[in-house]
Amino acid sequence: MDTILLVEDDKNQILLYEQEIAIEGYKVVTAMNGLEAIEKARNYKPDLVVMDINMPKMDGIESMCRILSEHRNIPIIINTAYSNYQNNFMTWSADAYIIKSSDLKELKDKIKELLIKKKRKDNEKTV
Amino acid sequence: MRKPFDHKLFKKVLVMLLAGGKGERLYPLTRDRAKPAVPFGGVYRIIDFTLSNCINSGLRKICVLTQYKSYSLDRHLRVGWNIFNSELDEFIENIPPQKRTSEMWYLGTADAVYQNIYVLERERPEMVLILAGDHIYKMDYSELINFHIENKADLTVPCIEVPLDDASRFGVVGIDKKHRIVDFEEKPSNPKPLPAKQNIALVSMGIYLFNTEVLVQRIIDNAKKDSNRDFGKNIIPTMIKKDHVLSFVFTDNKTNKAGYWRDIGTLDAYWEANIDLVKANPDFNLFDSAWPIRTYNKQYPPAQYLYGQEKKGMIRDSLISNGCIINDAFIERSVISPDVIIGSQSSAIGSVIMEGVRIGKNVTIQNAIIDKYVTIPDGMRIGYNVQEDEKQFTVTEKGIVVAYKEMHLI
Repeated sequence: MDTILLVEDDKNQILLYEQEIAIEGYKVVTAMNGLEAIEKARNYKPDLVVMDINMPKMDGIESMCRILSEHRNIPIIINTAYSNYQNNFMTWSADAYIIKSSDLKELKDKIKELLIKKKRKDNEKTV
Repeated sequence: MRKPFDHKLFKKVLVMLLAGGKGERLYPLTRDRAKPAVPFGGVYRIIDFTLSNCINSGLRKICVLTQYKSYSLDRHLRVGWNIFNSELDEFIENIPPQKRTSEMWYLGTADAVYQNIYVLERERPEMVLILAGDHIYKMDYSELINFHIENKADLTVPCIEVPLDDASRFGVVGIDKKHRIVDFEEKPSNPKPLPAKQNIALVSMGIYLFNTEVLVQRIIDNAKKDSNRDFGKNIIPTMIKKDHVLSFVFTDNKTNKAGYWRDIGTLDAYWEANIDLVKANPDFNLFDSAWPIRTYNKQYPPAQYLYGQEKKGMIRDSLISNGCIINDAFIERSVISPDVIIGSQSSAIGSVIMEGVRIGKNVTIQNAIIDKYVTIPDGMRIGYNVQEDEKQFTVTEKGIVVAYKEMHLI
């Protein structure tokens, strides 16, 4: 079962996302800020990260860069309510940038797509 | 023909000057300083040549990315190059690693830029000119920038023609008829010659002019791969496959031959490049008023030459800096930095003598590099007996004797 690290500071949104992602058949690990996300990424070695940007303690952009510097191959989806961070060069490190919506179809599709891509890449490496 | 100066254009270019090289092959000159801070040509530091190129080309937004042993370089930039006006949005900033994106030092040239992406974000330049802080050359970057814009390139790599035998030290470039780079090999063992000239190869000068967005995208892509994070080894070879990558051949406008460009890689190359300066009409002319090289120097009185009782003093084919006192000594083909005192009946031939060196009486020196603040006792001979010299000095392959900074001699 693939593990997804969900980074989000709003408790209600965590409940929603956690449920919806779990229904798709993934194991979900949650973190409530960027700092916690780095630690969880180390401990759980997730297959994919869904990352909010505006969070206390450490924001999603810095957290993403630090996670990537330790685990280069984890796909990261930025999931934020704001579109303007797309101009921020550091967010280009993410594999996808999704603007939060009540319809989670886009997020779910992206998760699926990126996990398939990652598996293909991993296979190429072992071959 | 040089194009009219376009101020707006030059505000769109940010320079990132990579000055983090350890310069291991220049040891012991790099014992106490980074390679770009190594003194050169009497009064300069190696980095002054690239910085002078920037201001002579109209580029005034410069970030110097430092890393190892940066104190000496930092001080030089602070006291010597604090000349830009921040109110006019001009700056020269020294940026040591911030460790914003990881806990690592810069892994390679591309990683140095990657770790400083936030600088690009703040400045939002249209183009980024990536320069190395350890080359000696004069180049008008405005010609490069105009070429890059006219040809709508994503990346333009300045290249220079070198003899085929030398080419394996560099990134060797293959181009098509429209200057497009179709082949790039970093330090190949069998470099390919130019189709038209069998004994000449085209090599990269380690300078890159990027469109900012392409640069950001490619260094981010690269950061996610296992690689050396190096422009020459990783980024350029990937980019020639998918982007519009052009070469810009660096030639001297006056002679139409390959321009003067030296990568001061070794002690022998360092010594040669210094001694090259003393000729009449040298290939690299410091006296070119159209291309002033600026630096920082302490204030010293004029150099003084004394003619003693023995009347043996003579100076020929040499560069002598301010503040020197040369007391009836014989100097030939040498570069003497400020504040050097040379005692009577001494001689220096083919030598590079740095600031604050004291040379006693009856000293004979040849083919040597004496770093700052070394005191050479009376009667000492340097550069005449390899076995003797090797006991206390570094001696290079070509027999150049090197004394490190503040070395205590016996």
